[in-house]
Amino acid sequence: MSAARAVVATGAAALVLAAAPWLLSDFLLSLTVACLMYAGLAVSWAMFSGPTHYLSLATAAFFGLGAYVTAWGVATLPWALCVAGGGLVAAVFAALVGAAVLHLRGAYFAVLTFGLGELVRHAITYFEKSYFRTVGRVLTKTPDATTVYLTVLGVAAAAVAVAAVVRASRLGLALRGIGGDEERAQTLGVSTRRMKIAGFALSAFFAGAMGAAVAVRWTYIDPPAVFNPFIGLQTVLIAMVGGAATLGGPLASAVVFSLFTEFLRLRFPYAFLLVLGTLLIVLVLYLPGGLASLVERRRPAAAAGGAARGAGGPTRG
Amino acid sequence: MADVLLAARGVSVRFGGLIAVDGVDLEVSERELIGIIGPNGAGKTTLFHTLSGLVRPTAGRLSVRGRDLTGRPPHVFAAHGVARTFQTPRVFREMTAEANVRFGLEFAGRRRAHPHDAFDDARSILAFLGLAEVASVPAGALTPARQRLLEIGMAFGARPDVLLLDEVAAGLTERELETTAQLIRRVRDELGVAVVWIEHAVRALMGVVERVLVLHQGRKIADGSPALVARDRAVTEAYLGGEEPPA
Amino acid sequence: MEIGRTLWLDLTLAGLITGGMYALVAVGLNLQYGLMRVMNIAHGEFLMVGAYLAYWAYTLTGVSPLLTLPAVFVALFLIGLLVFRLCFRRIARASPSVEVLEARSLLVGFGLMFLIQNGAYLAWGADLRGYEYLARPVEIAGARFGANRLVVFAFAVGVSLVLLALLRFTLFGKAVRAMMQSPRGAQLVGIDVGLLHPVVFGVGLALAGVAGALLSMIYEISPAMGEPYTVTALIVITLGGLGSAPGSLLGGLLLGLVETYGTHVSNPSMKMLLSYGVFVLVLILRPRGLFAR
Repeated sequence: MSAARAVVATGAAALVLAAAPWLLSDFLLSLTVACLMYAGLAVSWAMFSGPTHYLSLATAAFFGLGAYVTAWGVATLPWALCVAGGGLVAAVFAALVGAAVLHLRGAYFAVLTFGLGELVRHAITYFEKSYFRTVGRVLTKTPDATTVYLTVLGVAAAAVAVAAVVRASRLGLALRGIGGDEERAQTLGVSTRRMKIAGFALSAFFAGAMGAAVAVRWTYIDPPAVFNPFIGLQTVLIAMVGGAATLGGPLASAVVFSLFTEFLRLRFPYAFLLVLGTLLIVLVLYLPGGLASLVERRRPAAAAGGAARGAGGPTRG
Repeated sequence: MADVLLAARGVSVRFGGLIAVDGVDLEVSERELIGIIGPNGAGKTTLFHTLSGLVRPTAGRLSVRGRDLTGRPPHVFAAHGVARTFQTPRVFREMTAEANVRFGLEFAGRRRAHPHDAFDDARSILAFLGLAEVASVPAGALTPARQRLLEIGMAFGARPDVLLLDEVAAGLTERELETTAQLIRRVRDELGVAVVWIEHAVRALMGVVERVLVLHQGRKIADGSPALVARDRAVTEAYLGGEEPPA
Repeated sequence: MEIGRTLWLDLTLAGLITGGMYALVAVGLNLQYGLMRVMNIAHGEFLMVGAYLAYWAYTLTGVSPLLTLPAVFVALFLIGLLVFRLCFRRIARASPSVEVLEARSLLVGFGLMFLIQNGAYLAWGADLRGYEYLARPVEIAGARFGANRLVVFAFAVGVSLVLLALLRFTLFGKAVRAMMQSPRGAQLVGIDVGLLHPVVFGVGLALAGVAGALLSMIYEISPAMGEPYTVTALIVITLGGLGSAPGSLLGGLLLGLVETYGTHVSNPSMKMLLSYGVFVLVLILRPRGLFAR
């Protein structure tokens, strides 16, 4: 599907979904918001980690940063600014972190991004306690449910559209080259450092914007609530099941998983995380390309032999 | 007097205690066809790594068209017209042959002039190399010989002034060697690209190039026409412990 | 002056203890990653398991944690063999390249982390638990420390040194080091990869478990206690150099001291920031590790 068609399709879907607040019950609407949130997170994660095979576990950090931009700003700033600001803060943070650690091997990068959530959580906890003398915050003057829904829808749709455009762009080509053989890409003229930082920051933007948009669903926010590693797990799992290299895969699995999550999370908080963790393990071991790879096996496959190194990744066979 | 495209002055590379390249001087001028030979471990590939920016030399300077690029990353070298292939073909396995070639065109080759229409686009490059019919095949599915050619095609995508070929003839039959040698000649003759060619199949190389550099234990021990180098005593001695002496 | 010296000694000991724990965990991770390119992001969780094992052993049977240390080692070693067999061996075999292997084992580790941590929550609850053991103070050089802290420090360093000696002087240790330097060469000389990998993996986990058991003697435990140690272990590996067990020992101690002094001067919340800061600095200035030649 070409980028133009994907963008149009996304726009059309968004228009249809925009009618939901007037058609669905509160409960179903809330469920839809959850689906859209995970869809947006998964697609934005796959935007960078899909082609480059750099496993980023920083989603929780970006999401949390965005949520706190809302927490600090929602009473005083216009709503749009909060959301955009959340995205921007996350993107800038990602660019800084990326500049420091993106040149590392994949394993180092992954573990470090994993620690970022904890790092930011501690920093914000400290900041809140020292300057605002508070642990958590009550959110006041929050927009109504319809606005929130439409915002989440907008961020998710934007993430999908941008992902489609990036795929067809030079940046997307560069990212795929980096994932294929980074040194080779360099010798062909790709400034890999710049491209990686750009891709990483772009993907962080949407995670941050999503965090900012969704934060108002909580009336009381504190760091442990928004810096939740579970978000990272869910995101990675969704993208893995759907196949991080495709566009539609994460979307479809986002719907399935968010439904699954919302029904079980509150009733079995630990057991269901245990199940998700096991699911991820099983997936990686037996279906590393995600469900999308089952579809691909029907098409002629690339030969697996040959001496060329650097092929493959977390999602492709 | 033709322009000097690529110059290495006193380039040395140390890895811990090992000296891989030891004070090598090299000048590549426009349209030159140079060969580099030497026993295993002579430092040839490491020299290529410095010439393409993948490895920073521990001493010495590298310049492209007079511009000092020492220590710059590989994409800068590529942007200035130095393209290379690797000993084992490093293609983007998941992308089609055409996408592989297009890659260089999108990046290093983007703003570079292309005097010959073989460099117009991916199709023309593939056609020049005889790969037109496999344009839509994923690179990983190509035969090794074709992958080698695709390697060269990818380098063409960068629209280079200098092409560094690292052992393109490994594992080829006599016939294939001949074809490859002819192709290399064509690259220089028709496309006007200077070529520096590392090769173990010394006989094939000597028949094609105009100038030969011999490396031994990281040092340059000879630099001249094939005929001269073949008679050089130091070269013969270097090879006595290694493979076939140049003939 | 008396107070100042006590504080200084106290901080140093705390720093060395923390550092000793880091060292134990890091050495295990170093072996695993250096040898097999398996970055077990769930590594810290096994520290937690070791802590709980020691806790239950002491609380239920009254046996001294020092005596249960060997049992914890063996238990975690066996668990490590199992985990390797179930999770990582398949990846090692099926991955077309090192990068893919790394990426997939990371994902598996990620899932494992949630599995183990939440299993612990389910089984043992989220409350902090602790027990008193050897908490009587002991006087050294005019400063008073809990005896348990001294014992923990001694054991942490002791175990690390034993491991280092094993790596250096035994045939097994030499095989491990050979494999880390040249996997293909080691295989050619007849070292059995199929045996070495699970054993090294098991030893790595066992070390983490021992660290956890030691920690249980002086701090309270909870299912989430292990998580920070994985990231820190990685930082220690970077400090000490990948593949260098002595480096991990020294690097761990050093980082522990830096953290303890640093958070004392600033704020406990700064701990992670400090570690990351150290990490970035080392990356920029000495990317091969502090002790690389």
